[in-house]
Amino acid sequence: MLLHDIRLALRSLKRNPILSLLMIVTIGVGIAASMIAMTVYSARAGHPIPWKEDVLFAVTMDTRENEPPPPGMPLRNFEYPPFTLAYQDAVAAYRSDIPRRSVMMYRSGQLVTPERANIKPFHVPVRVTTADFFAMFDVPFRYGGGWSRAADTTAEPVVVISKYLNDKLFGGANSLGREITLGGRQFKIIGVLDAWMPHPRFYDLSGGGFDLPEDAFLPFEWVRAGRIFPQSINCVRRTARVVNFESLFTEECLWLQYWVELPDSAAHARFQQYVDNYVRDQQQRGRMPRPLNNRIVNVSTWLEMNNVVGDDTRMQVMVAVAFLVVCVLNTVGLILAKFLSAAPIAGLRRALGATRLDIVRQHLTEVVIMGLIGGALGLFLSFGGLRLLYALIFARGLESSDNPARLTLAQSFTHMDFPMLLLAVALSVLTGILAGIYPAWRIGRLTPATFLKTQ
Amino acid sequence: MEIRALVSAMWRSRTGPILVAAQVAITLAVVVNIAYLIQQRLETAAKPTGIDIDNVFWVRLEAIDPDYNYEAALRADLEYLNDLPGVIAATSSNGTPQTFYSLGLPFAPSADQLDKGGGQGARVFMADEHYLDALGLELIAGRNFESSVFVPPAQDVPSGIAAWAPEVIITRYMADKLFPDGNAVGKPLYVGLVNRSSTVVGVVKLLQGAPMPIEQFALMNVLVPIIPPGPNPFYIVRTEPGRRDATMARVEQELADRVPGRFMSQIEALEKTAAQARFSFRSSATILSVIGVFVLAVTLVGITGLAAFNVTTRTRQLGTRRAIGARKFHILRYFIVENWIITSVGALVGCALALAAGIKLSTTYALPRLPLYFLVAGVVAIWILGLLAVVVPARRAASISPATATRMV
Repeated sequence: MLLHDIRLALRSLKRNPILSLLMIVTIGVGIAASMIAMTVYSARAGHPIPWKEDVLFAVTMDTRENEPPPPGMPLRNFEYPPFTLAYQDAVAAYRSDIPRRSVMMYRSGQLVTPERANIKPFHVPVRVTTADFFAMFDVPFRYGGGWSRAADTTAEPVVVISKYLNDKLFGGANSLGREITLGGRQFKIIGVLDAWMPHPRFYDLSGGGFDLPEDAFLPFEWVRAGRIFPQSINCVRRTARVVNFESLFTEECLWLQYWVELPDSAAHARFQQYVDNYVRDQQQRGRMPRPLNNRIVNVSTWLEMNNVVGDDTRMQVMVAVAFLVVCVLNTVGLILAKFLSAAPIAGLRRALGATRLDIVRQHLTEVVIMGLIGGALGLFLSFGGLRLLYALIFARGLESSDNPARLTLAQSFTHMDFPMLLLAVALSVLTGILAGIYPAWRIGRLTPATFLKTQ
Repeated sequence: MEIRALVSAMWRSRTGPILVAAQVAITLAVVVNIAYLIQQRLETAAKPTGIDIDNVFWVRLEAIDPDYNYEAALRADLEYLNDLPGVIAATSSNGTPQTFYSLGLPFAPSADQLDKGGGQGARVFMADEHYLDALGLELIAGRNFESSVFVPPAQDVPSGIAAWAPEVIITRYMADKLFPDGNAVGKPLYVGLVNRSSTVVGVVKLLQGAPMPIEQFALMNVLVPIIPPGPNPFYIVRTEPGRRDATMARVEQELADRVPGRFMSQIEALEKTAAQARFSFRSSATILSVIGVFVLAVTLVGITGLAAFNVTTRTRQLGTRRAIGARKFHILRYFIVENWIITSVGALVGCALALAAGIKLSTTYALPRLPLYFLVAGVVAIWILGLLAVVVPARRAASISPATATRMV
């Protein structure tokens, strides 16, 4: 019976080739637009570390002045506390033993001067961090490991380097124990990372969040010992007086990312209490004039607060879906026209004994087939569209970097994975059914006599 | 003509017209808002910068020798660059405009205002007496920096900023904002965070820090005569028209080796830097226009398809009308008016949708509300689109011979 339906459907499709083609192209273009937008969306909306969703938390404190939002700032952003902490507040939080692990850290850059004369000195992004970083974010090591908490306070000259840096400087060999020159100082390599690309780079979302992790990691006290200046500082209060490097540690300047690992919700509640108490105490001393607004949030909420997906990406999905709706409406009209023009045939079949259900089923088969062909076309078009998008937008500037991870990162934005492929198939069937259900029902409802008369 | 008859005929087989109207409504809502976003982005990208972008390039050097004498090298480099044939001026700074790198501080016209209101944020560019010429900025009031005011380079950026300088030059936008009574020149300007004040000695007509939709972030800029902290020099060079590329090639060849212990890490035409800063605006405008064109094309096809179907099913009726005296023109008019009514109903609903979507967009993007002329233009565009879509089927309808009616009975 299905075979019969399919044969009838194909015959009907061939009867009106231009109209059929038009409908298939319409469905195809609509599905392609939606698939492209959703692929780009899903590349940005992923969870980088789902297995730690319940234990990993970003810590924020509302250290701002009690002032209305500046003009032009979306209010949503204004309700959130700043995303970085001042040194004195981070240090206070670090004193708590409630979290299983705690990390305070910041991003900077350093010049690497290779031993080998054939490599020119070059800049690498550097993360200066406390010891728990690697265990907390499940960073994979190729060789060696991180440092102890003691190394943080003594500014031990040790470094963990990325796979890229190890490949570039040592040809990928085990470089543990060797030295590299960072910012004119010698550091001993104690760890080499494996390929690692949290996507988005959730632990530090400055600059949009879609960048590679740093290439060198240094114990925290190097901030003072090396006078390693943070890449980004935000001094919030009018009372802040920045006079020299030491101002970083005493003034109201925000520059540290702060994360904790809390084993359970009870620990979360206790740590929240700890932070709130600390802030209340600071308020007594005349700091932090705003009402309590310290948020200790898991990774999903953190990504949401930082608007990592981005308004543009979200809007593109909405526009693409609206476009698909237009395509569906369009197809409904065309299918209806087509079915009605072929109504006498349906009438004849009814008169010869086909039930109403038979007619509806046969017409639905036709639209589902059309949906599938349209979907296949849509898939083909979306691959093309994604490649175009990649070439025009994401592959930009790749040639200036010798880091292969950059290529992987660029490709990840337009990569259509298996669940997206399934979604494409589901979408095309759904589109076919949505477009065809009303026309098929209409045609099934007609009484055979009307048509037989006009013949 | 009988509009009533036309409408009631349409109402009897309303599914098709409703589908077309719904399509038109969504299309209008989408296209109008897309057009507005595109316009906003292209406008942001095309705003004047006040800079002679085509003839400027910049160079970054990295010192690797711990004994590198930054200050001496800086003086020698600037002398060399300023003496190069074809160079109008060269300056050293902490970075170039047209990037999103920024060093911002709060400013106010009085110390009191700074304490109470926090001041207005502005971007700080370190400059010397060649800065205005090196970027091609136009001084509209006051004077340039004099060479005696320069603050020698500090150990790091915070100390350099903290030392501040007795004079500043500001943009006209900033002058209007902070000194609304006019004439900023000669007035003191207070600087938050570093807690200093300087005298405004000059006003430049325009200096766009970066292409940003919010004017305040783009145009509030301060030039301060501080020699940037070492040890890595950053130079901005402006050449005579047409000589940029040759000069760049020469500088790339010669500059780094003039002083030992350093190398050149980057040299780039400001034109390229500026284009990169605008890339996201331009690319999203391109994506949106592609979507817009597709939406319009699909709607065009939809309207044509349904009109063509109507012509086919009404062949006999049309033949009859022609047989009893309707002229070709009447048939043509019938279809065009019918289609016009459908698209207009759709456009009306679409206007409501567009406004609703526009309100949502203006809150998420902090944009001004969708201007009404966009809606008007959208409706006109939809009318034209509808007319184009119906012309071919309507002409086919008009060419149906009256004989058809007799043949089919």
